[in-house]
Amino acid sequence: MAIRGTSGSGKTTLLNLIAGFLQPGSGTILWNGQPLHQLEPWQRPVTSVFQEHNLFEHLDVATNIGLGLHPGLKLTKEQKTRIEQTLERTGLGGVGTRMPGDLSGGQRQRVALVRAILRRKPVLLLDEPLTGLDPEAKNSLRTMLLEEKAQGVTMILASHDEEDRKLLADQHWNL
Amino acid sequence: MSVTRYSAPLSHPGWQLAPGLTIGLVLLLVVAMGLGSMVVTASSVDFASVLNSRYLRGVVWFTVWQAVLSVLLSLLLALPVARALARYRVFPGRSLLLRLMELSLVLPTIVAVSGIIGVYGRQGWATGLLNDWSPGHSWNLYGLNGILLAHVFFNAPLAARVMLQALETVPSPRLRMASQLGLRGWWLWRSVEWPALQPVLPGLCALVFTLCFTSFAIIMTLGGGPAATTLEVAIYQALRFEFDFPQAAVLAVIQLAICGGLWWLVLRQRMESPLLPNRRLAYVVPLKHSAAQRWIHAVLLVSFSLFLLLPLAAIASRGLPALLGVGGASSLYPQLLPATGRSLLIALPAGFGSVLGALLILAAAGKARGRWVKAIPATTGYLPLIVPPIVLGTGLFLLLKPGLGNNAQGWVLVAFINGLMALPFVVQVLRGPLSGLDTNSRQLADQLGIIGWYRWHRIYWPLMRRPMALGLAYGIALSMGDFGVIALFGSPGQPTLPVLLYQQLGSYRVSDAAGTGLWLLILLITIFSLLSVIGRPPANQRVSPSHQAVPVPEHA
Repeated sequence: MAIRGTSGSGKTTLLNLIAGFLQPGSGTILWNGQPLHQLEPWQRPVTSVFQEHNLFEHLDVATNIGLGLHPGLKLTKEQKTRIEQTLERTGLGGVGTRMPGDLSGGQRQRVALVRAILRRKPVLLLDEPLTGLDPEAKNSLRTMLLEEKAQGVTMILASHDEEDRKLLADQHWNL
Repeated sequence: MSVTRYSAPLSHPGWQLAPGLTIGLVLLLVVAMGLGSMVVTASSVDFASVLNSRYLRGVVWFTVWQAVLSVLLSLLLALPVARALARYRVFPGRSLLLRLMELSLVLPTIVAVSGIIGVYGRQGWATGLLNDWSPGHSWNLYGLNGILLAHVFFNAPLAARVMLQALETVPSPRLRMASQLGLRGWWLWRSVEWPALQPVLPGLCALVFTLCFTSFAIIMTLGGGPAATTLEVAIYQALRFEFDFPQAAVLAVIQLAICGGLWWLVLRQRMESPLLPNRRLAYVVPLKHSAAQRWIHAVLLVSFSLFLLLPLAAIASRGLPALLGVGGASSLYPQLLPATGRSLLIALPAGFGSVLGALLILAAAGKARGRWVKAIPATTGYLPLIVPPIVLGTGLFLLLKPGLGNNAQGWVLVAFINGLMALPFVVQVLRGPLSGLDTNSRQLADQLGIIGWYRWHRIYWPLMRRPMALGLAYGIALSMGDFGVIALFGSPGQPTLPVLLYQQLGSYRVSDAAGTGLWLLILLITIFSLLSVIGRPPANQRVSPSHQAVPVPEHA
């Protein structure tokens, strides 16, 4: 599902409401019939990728991803290898010990997306995740997103890029 | 799909609020008890008769007068220095000069005084030069001269740093615009510099005034007689020599009224006055200037550096022989080492306590809702500025009189008051980094369930290590250099380092005093470098190699 709207029309607000960063004044947010709006952000079945500031700048890439799997970084061996493998698979092999500041914009977004994917949440909230990236980076991220879509993950994409919306979404919604 | 519930340790919001509020309340209670006992004691005196006493009016008048003069002189010197430093961002020795200016905050007053005596005193270097040039001069360090000189030595660098920081917050596009328009002199001042300085000036004036108003060690050593007595010294004399407790209480109430009133005025404007500057990267924007201006600035900065360096050089050159035992002087160490132990015994708990207290108070301040609940952590951070340590000390002294034979109790009190004294500075160091996490990162941490202990351990701890180490160093240093509170509670037979130094100055053992001063200085430098090594993050986690006190993300 893609959300379209001019800037200021409330795309980000909507995503923030779903993620629980904002509280609705009235109304309910349902997922599979379950109310979400009373849950804390960390209890909701969602995971977000923003346009920027997705990574903790003072922690290395592996830690950034690991924190998505367990908030106290208590990881099993299996989880650690999965992080390695996924990084490898997305062309980020060996960046695990690098700091986010050393990566390019496209690499940073890929790391953020890897974390979101590994969290295995049913809903993926994307707030302009591809804006401002070069075409090559865009392509590799699109591929990753399409793979996720094929796995059956629900994606909500806020974007003002016509091409992204056409490529990634089955449904379109105007704000 | 099931909903995951993480149970992060200590994730209940109460853990952020309750400890800080408790600490804040306990501190407020102790202060209230101290003040209460003071007011009770003071109320037994006929206020009108005290206020009519010529001695007292003289003391109050002199205290205010020297503080006002010190503020004026410090700011007058600081302003051109800050402007010159803001103008020239790159020259050899600039960062050294900035470091030197930061030193004045942690340099124990009594050490600096011994250095100042070494330069401007009767046998000082500068006085020697003056003797050669104009033999009939009437320069005398002791009295108002010395007090002002020492106050300017301490407060001009402080004021210059705060002003420099304000000037460096000018957005670079505005500076580039000024550069393009070729602004200089009056118009540069009006369009760029004054708007940047104006918001920090009231707080800065209040800070410098308070520091000079409550200065103790400087007046004790350089005052040179009853004509130059301040409230602080009068309180000390009333308590320790005349045993006139009501008199001391009345003096403390007056002191409290003036300081408290001043800070109430300043804080009412909801102004966060910077006590310590953040260091940040400065970019160079060339501004229009004449060649003459360049020279004036260069001369100014060189003389300012000399002004700061000479007393330190005096301590080093006179202290080193004493420490090394050159020239057959009797060894200092039998006195020095026990005093060092006592100083550390007080300073370490005070330092750790102030860091822990500051963290909890800041956490509570971030979580508190409601006007009165919010007021508790907010007030606690500024308490020692509103209630000067010696006033608090007087109150607690009056309250606990019976137990004063007990040394352990006295030392606990000194450590407590010293820790409280350091609190505003440590809070200032920690506030920025603690609230520096951007909204996105916070939301992200929420979504990932990194809350409670996990958030502290993974997100804040790596960010806070350095500022915490710095805060700890400040806390320990302030306590190590304390002379006022220890003079009130300590016993002369068991001196801490500053007390030992004071005793040596008092008995004209100048080289011993310089040795002790140098020892204390070396100790402080060691503490700072040790903690800065400990606070450094592991090699692969450095955000940037620059000397930033506050790590900031590289992109905005």
